[in-house]
Amino acid sequence: MSKRSGITRRGLFRGIGTATLVAGCATPKAPPPEGPAQTPPVTPGVTLGPGPAPLQFELNGQAVTTEVPPSATLLDTLRLRLDATGTKKVCDRGSCGACMVLVDGQPQNSCMTLAHDVAGRKVTTVEGLGAGHDGGQSPLQRAFVERDALQCGFCTPGMLISCTALLARTGGAAPSADAIQDAISGNLCRCGTYPHVVAAVKSAAGGGA
Amino acid sequence: MAGADTRHTLTLGFEGALKKVSVATPPGEPRPWDADTKTQVVGEAVPRVDGHLKTSGAAKYTHDINLPDMQHALVLRSPHACAVIKSIDIKAAENAPGVSACVALAKASDRVLFVGQDVAAVAAATPEAAREALARIQVEYEKQPFVVALEKAMQDDAPLVHTTAVKERRTEGDEPGAGGGAKARGNIRPAPSMKKGDAKRGLRQAKVTHEAVYTTQVHTHTALETHSIVVRWDDAKQARMTVWCSTQSIFSVRGEMAEMFGLKPQDVHVITNFLGGGFGAKFGASAPGSRLGFIAGELARLSKKPVSLLLDRREEHTCTGNRPDSHQRVTLGATEGGALTAIHVVGHGSAGIGTGAGIGRNAFGIYTKCPNILVESADVFTHAGPGTAFRAPGHPQGAFGIESALNELAAKLGLDPLELRIAHNEHPVRRRQFELGRDAFQWADKRRRAADQRGRNTRMRTGVGVAASIWGDFGRAKAASVTVTVTPNGGVEVRNGVQDIGTGIGTVMAQVAAEVLRRPLSTVTVKIGDSELGSSVGSGGSQTTSSVTPAVRNAAEQVKARLIALAAEALEAPAAKITWGEGGVASARKGKSIEFAALCKKIKGESISESATRPQTYGSHPMKFLGSPLYQIAGVQFAEVEVDTWTGVARARKVLAIHDCGRVMNELTLRSQINGGVILGTGYALMEQRVMDGRSGVMLNANLESYKCLGARDVPEIEVLLTEVHVGNNSTGAVGIGEPATIPTAAAIAGAVMDAIGAPVRALPITPDRVLTALGATS
Ligand code: FES
Ligand code: FES
Repeated sequence: MSKRSGITRRGLFRGIGTATLVAGCATPKAPPPEGPAQTPPVTPGVTLGPGPAPLQFELNGQAVTTEVPPSATLLDTLRLRLDATGTKKVCDRGSCGACMVLVDGQPQNSCMTLAHDVAGRKVTTVEGLGAGHDGGQSPLQRAFVERDALQCGFCTPGMLISCTALLARTGGAAPSADAIQDAISGNLCRCGTYPHVVAAVKSAAGGGA
Repeated sequence: MAGADTRHTLTLGFEGALKKVSVATPPGEPRPWDADTKTQVVGEAVPRVDGHLKTSGAAKYTHDINLPDMQHALVLRSPHACAVIKSIDIKAAENAPGVSACVALAKASDRVLFVGQDVAAVAAATPEAAREALARIQVEYEKQPFVVALEKAMQDDAPLVHTTAVKERRTEGDEPGAGGGAKARGNIRPAPSMKKGDAKRGLRQAKVTHEAVYTTQVHTHTALETHSIVVRWDDAKQARMTVWCSTQSIFSVRGEMAEMFGLKPQDVHVITNFLGGGFGAKFGASAPGSRLGFIAGELARLSKKPVSLLLDRREEHTCTGNRPDSHQRVTLGATEGGALTAIHVVGHGSAGIGTGAGIGRNAFGIYTKCPNILVESADVFTHAGPGTAFRAPGHPQGAFGIESALNELAAKLGLDPLELRIAHNEHPVRRRQFELGRDAFQWADKRRRAADQRGRNTRMRTGVGVAASIWGDFGRAKAASVTVTVTPNGGVEVRNGVQDIGTGIGTVMAQVAAEVLRRPLSTVTVKIGDSELGSSVGSGGSQTTSSVTPAVRNAAEQVKARLIALAAEALEAPAAKITWGEGGVASARKGKSIEFAALCKKIKGESISESATRPQTYGSHPMKFLGSPLYQIAGVQFAEVEVDTWTGVARARKVLAIHDCGRVMNELTLRSQINGGVILGTGYALMEQRVMDGRSGVMLNANLESYKCLGARDVPEIEVLLTEVHVGNNSTGAVGIGEPATIPTAAAIAGAVMDAIGAPVRALPITPDRVLTALGATS
């Protein structure tokens, strides 16, 4: 796996840990240690909080301006402030993947991401995956329906984000079942859709995603 | 409606064993679909009709409800496993910033019985404000001795959990007919036993016996959407309310809320457009261990604002139900030739402070050629959150006990465990399933390979196992009232208040209406998930499809009859001469016909609309469920595992799931359900377990990182084989599958592990330490 595509759980935590520290209290002295693209976009010298502070980012192609305290997670900000409820809260501590979003194209657990860490960045949630596609659904979303890769549907937004990122990494080429299972290994599904998720990703890739 | 029953000669049974059977149906019932009925939409692998709402994030779950001025509720829970409340003071919380209401849920002198029990609750403008207010509530406890381990709770000197009689909580998810009632002794309360012949005598007659204890763990439902409810009082007088609830039974929520708040059921409007899983824990307005409906409703009443109460993951694990653990002493007796003479099971299990820890009907109902069977079970109370129905209550644990014991007995007798099963099963469909699997799974070859690996003492071993399921066709009469409407513009709408727990019931409803009216599926809309749409059943007991689809068919048939009358008028022919063709074209004999669109234009008034239910189950060919008039649903699963004898890690490599589910309604969503059952069962076999701290009574892994559910990497290759059976039970022939699909998985995997390592692991989950211990015992 290439460095660029290798966003691992541990790397993610390390990145978020750093970002949390930075956004919470102080100015970064040095760039964060190497890892996935997690550069905190905080303006040097600016301290946020403890009250709500202005925040701007791009959500599904739309500029968003809001005010949130530095402690607010991206997940809560999406769900409670922006009424973007497609992204689900299940564990709120990075262990289920239901809250996955794309930040500048990289899949990330939004419950483990502070809202202020996405300042100036592009966030895509499940609601934004269909933009620009026929019928408002990407080939992957359509394949999820056709292959019945969803039952109750509560894990589906997170699954779609992980699989969208996977297909972006392969450039649309069909990944192996192994690669798909790897990509969704952080996405818990209690209804047991995993086999159909694998089938859906394969068929979406086959159809030229 | 008076009138005599109608007799139909139906073609029933399964491939290679079809028979003409005479079935009587009540007046007004259409001729039931049977093996000769060729359907076009029903049975097809049709994608679910609302799938795009789930893939786009547009589907609104209870967690997603956001109302103007909505308050966020949080519950203060007992930190002690057993304590008497000395005092409770909520004033400081009431006055905290942002708080709109506060309520004590316990009073001084109350005894709390498990960590996580309701103590008080607040509602505030934000979750943060609610959390801060919660911290201001003052409660003084006097701690008391407690017990959380099953075996300890059974001892005579164990701290007593209940000091007064226990009220049994039953839900639609419970197995019909099960239930306790006997008097408790200490923490032990016996449940009725299942008995046939004389097991003691059978054991005396036996030449070969096997006796061992099998144990299973507490298993939590872990639906991804936690229990949640949003309550809004709809008028100033607080005489009506709207409730959004993550529930698998809209109408039990309505009934409970009405009763709690002194309202008429029709003044409680319950909405569950989508729900993120339930698995048995989401019946009623309250969770088994937390009065959610009361809390949200009361806080909304006090604050005069809508209140949202969404549990977090810890609460979900500790106070919303679980599959009870079990301790089963299984004794088997057989002749030298391998004929079973007795099965005797003594089961104990703990549903925490609740009841319902029975071990199901596997030991009693499957290997029925054994003449003497006695299954005794008892609830053991512990200071832990209450158990509740969980996908096939009792059965996976019971299956593990009896099937594991059979494997050990077969080994003693030098018999193939599959042949031992075939010899004692009486269900013709299950027999067919065993035989199909024997070939499809290459049972004999794989057993030989396992024996060879054992003989060579290889590091990596494979093995195979098999187990069976038993369930009943519990479809309910007159419970679901479905309305089918055709409008002048040719639209077809199907309406019922049933919730979709994730099986895709709405899609199957649309298929049935499309089938009857012979209209394209795309022209049928379905409205479900709302108490205003007609009464319905809870999603439990694998009864939804068999309760709802016959009602859809019956309503659609009535609508069709009215459309035919309309066509008769238009074509100037007697109704009896009208035939209903593809696309809904009505034709008279003389070659005159009218297209569906044109016919609908002739509808007088707004629409043609008919509501219908379904009658009692009227048939159960070819096998009854344990003396009842209902069909017995058969299933068999084969599992293959790979065990690393150095690390003790067992992995499920392959599961072949062979099931019958009456008439297949939708092959795609059916396969999803079977996959789901197998995956749940695999996690139960190998990973999942609640871990309690005996010294504090706290659940140590009330999260999703150390409570191990099966992830994508752990899933075996699943192959599904369907043995479709025409039962003659209702107008569509549907029976259930949700529960049967998870019953035998863990037992089959356990059998495979024994085959691989040559020794039984008698406890679930089959963790590496247990495998290594079992291996140690063989060397
Ligand atoms: S809610 Fe973020 S990982 Fe579970
Ligand atoms: S579809 Fe229900 S949790 Fe995945």
